[in-house]
Amino acid sequence: MAGDGEPGKTPAQTGDQGQRKLGRRDVLRGLSTFPALGLFGYAWNEQRHYEQAKMEAAAAAPAAAGDVQPINVALLGAGAQGQVLTDSMLRIPGVRFRAVCDIWTEYNQKRVVNQLKKFNHNPNAYEDYREMLDKEQELDAVVIATPDFWHSPHTVDCLKAGRHVYCEKEMSNTLEGARAMVAAARDTGKLLQIGHQRRSNPRYLHCYEKLLGEAKLLGRIVTISGQWNRAVAPDLGAPARYAIPDARLKQYGFKDMHQFRNWRWFKGLGGGPIVDLGSHQIDIYTWFLGVNPSAVMASGGLLYHDPKTHEWYDTVMAVYDYDTPAGPVKAYYQTQTTNGSQGYFENFMGDQGTLLISESETYGARLYRDPNAPAWDTWVQKGFLNAPTIQEVKEKTEGVTDVRESVSPDEHKVSIVLRDPYHQPHLQNFFDAVRGKAKLNCPAEAGYESASSVLKVNEAIEAKSRLAFGPDDYRV
Amino acid sequence: MDHDGADSGLEIEAWRTLGGVRRFSHEAMATVFEVSAVHSDERYAAQAAHAAFDLVDRLERELSRFVPNSDIARVNRLAAGERTRVGPSAMECLVIARHAFDLTGGAFDVSIGTGLPSLELEPDAFAVRATTDGVRLDLGGIGKGYAVDLMAELLEEWGLGQALVHGGFSSVLALEAPEGLDGWPLTLSNPGDPSRVLVHLSVRQTALGASGLRKGDHIVEPCTGKPVRGRRAAWVAVPRPEAAGAEARGDGGPRVAAAAVADALTTAFMLLGLEDIATLCERSPGVEAWVLPEPDGDQREQATLLHFGGSGAGYTSASS
Repeated sequence: MAGDGEPGKTPAQTGDQGQRKLGRRDVLRGLSTFPALGLFGYAWNEQRHYEQAKMEAAAAAPAAAGDVQPINVALLGAGAQGQVLTDSMLRIPGVRFRAVCDIWTEYNQKRVVNQLKKFNHNPNAYEDYREMLDKEQELDAVVIATPDFWHSPHTVDCLKAGRHVYCEKEMSNTLEGARAMVAAARDTGKLLQIGHQRRSNPRYLHCYEKLLGEAKLLGRIVTISGQWNRAVAPDLGAPARYAIPDARLKQYGFKDMHQFRNWRWFKGLGGGPIVDLGSHQIDIYTWFLGVNPSAVMASGGLLYHDPKTHEWYDTVMAVYDYDTPAGPVKAYYQTQTTNGSQGYFENFMGDQGTLLISESETYGARLYRDPNAPAWDTWVQKGFLNAPTIQEVKEKTEGVTDVRESVSPDEHKVSIVLRDPYHQPHLQNFFDAVRGKAKLNCPAEAGYESASSVLKVNEAIEAKSRLAFGPDDYRV
Repeated sequence: MDHDGADSGLEIEAWRTLGGVRRFSHEAMATVFEVSAVHSDERYAAQAAHAAFDLVDRLERELSRFVPNSDIARVNRLAAGERTRVGPSAMECLVIARHAFDLTGGAFDVSIGTGLPSLELEPDAFAVRATTDGVRLDLGGIGKGYAVDLMAELLEEWGLGQALVHGGFSSVLALEAPEGLDGWPLTLSNPGDPSRVLVHLSVRQTALGASGLRKGDHIVEPCTGKPVRGRRAAWVAVPRPEAAGAEARGDGGPRVAAAAVADALTTAFMLLGLEDIATLCERSPGVEAWVLPEPDGDQREQATLLHFGGSGAGYTSASS
């Protein structure tokens, strides 16, 4: 096995003959050094003391991490998405958590504060974001991951208090709300990044800039399809003993605990799966094509879930029209929450090739060259994409040799991968912009255009007709 | 290296007869996780179970070496001298793994890939540094147990204190038992002959790890690279300190991860010499182990189950 017989290891791992050997003596050495139980606390401290001793010994050589300008951050909204963003931010150098604000003080607020304490941050905890903005005078930025209907008031107030803002998508559940956010960003001159994180994903950037932009590997894109399908799951609940008192729920716009936990399903609070999931991917359609959609037709409904506890459509199918400089494009999107088959992806089809891409790092991105398209060898040599995987071809075992059922297009994988949590590059882009070292990858205006095209789907379903977009739909 | 379900030889005995127990299952980490819990409200119990399953899915994204942007995948790509930040879950697993490695004289390494000795862990900074190239960690031998530990804490937060959680029955954690029982009734059986029950256990506040081989399977001894002979299965019980409940952890202090430890020890016990196992159990109050040797020669002859340690608080065992 690789790593065997490495020199310089502890006696427990290195035997007398210079190769690792299990032996009773070694085990006993381990046992005499460590108690087996009380186990973890002991092991943790043991490890910590070891590292401390080592660091003290090496104190003569100071660490070279002092060149990162610290940024004081507050998290507003410590629910599931807030926790995802926190996990990513903890991996970014220079981020200092000064405050955490969440109305669920009994549970999520505590969880995130405890998590941050583990990482040696010591944030103040707030229920009311206004109080936080009043008291926390050192903040550089606020990261907002509250329910959609709170995005606009939260963002506008934070910007007006002089803080830069990273706000989760959907930018707002209403266009009025989204417009107020764009206006506040312009008025204050503060940065506003909207959380369409694929726009900072190195694999998506590579496909956009290199494969579609420089090499134009797909030729003329004519159709797009995409989906985010999810299996049935029970409604989100909450530990009974940590329920929020009714008065507080009502104060913040929620009817009860069920609505608080499942706000995405309620009109006036969220926008349903098409907004929660579709907005990420329809944003990519538009980004890759370089123009906003000109019309949308859609069908959807609450086909499966209980209308007593769900308001928005659990099933949506939408078709967008795009008028690109190269010609018209039809783009299909579906989301449903009754069967998770094939998960989530975006599929771009041109006359010379296909790009099938998913944010899922396990899936990645694949390109298929149309058999009639010019060879891609140059681009493979340039490292734009990998050499094709040889497709498995079923050969008939009898009769004439080389009778094949069909020729599959070559499959090329894209070698650019993301090694960090999904939201980290987009947050990094935001903090870089705060430090004046980058431009936002999804500024307020881009977020507005995206929100406008996605919120129209719900309108089209209700209107049961094809709705056209005018220039005013994308202008603030 | 994972030995799940039928070949773990570990089961809940006649669970259908247990009063009011609801069972929920979810696929993750290439196995099936199950929550068995007593609660009067079916919907509430399902929501709690699914919150626990969401947690497992998150842990898989952070801990699986097969997920390219997981913490462990990132550690596996470190070149000599490079350093990366990881989340608390990855760090806790690595610290437990390091401890199990030292405790077992390296026998545990078999279930965690290679390169653990080449990693410097900085728990306070949540950073991992590699001293050599070629680290190839696989938390398969500890990740399921760790997930089970965290799921149990979450269920306790939800008030589901009468519960049993397991991942593929190779990592089991019993909390309080259903009404009228002193413990959850579990059986250990020969993985090659599941109908032959070897031990009946009554277990509460205890983690059990199981490692077993079916015919044709093998575990490779980490030093020689040769298949291990002589062991059919090993089970390890580790008591869960009563104070390990979520409420006791408000300070974010270190986690007492009984199932992760049991998970780590069980694979090591497929390899360690019997004397070493005996010593380890003797010196670790509460740790109990069972090892089923491979029968000698005539396959029809049944090997005798070996028992180590014992008299741990909270459970009793009785040979059938």
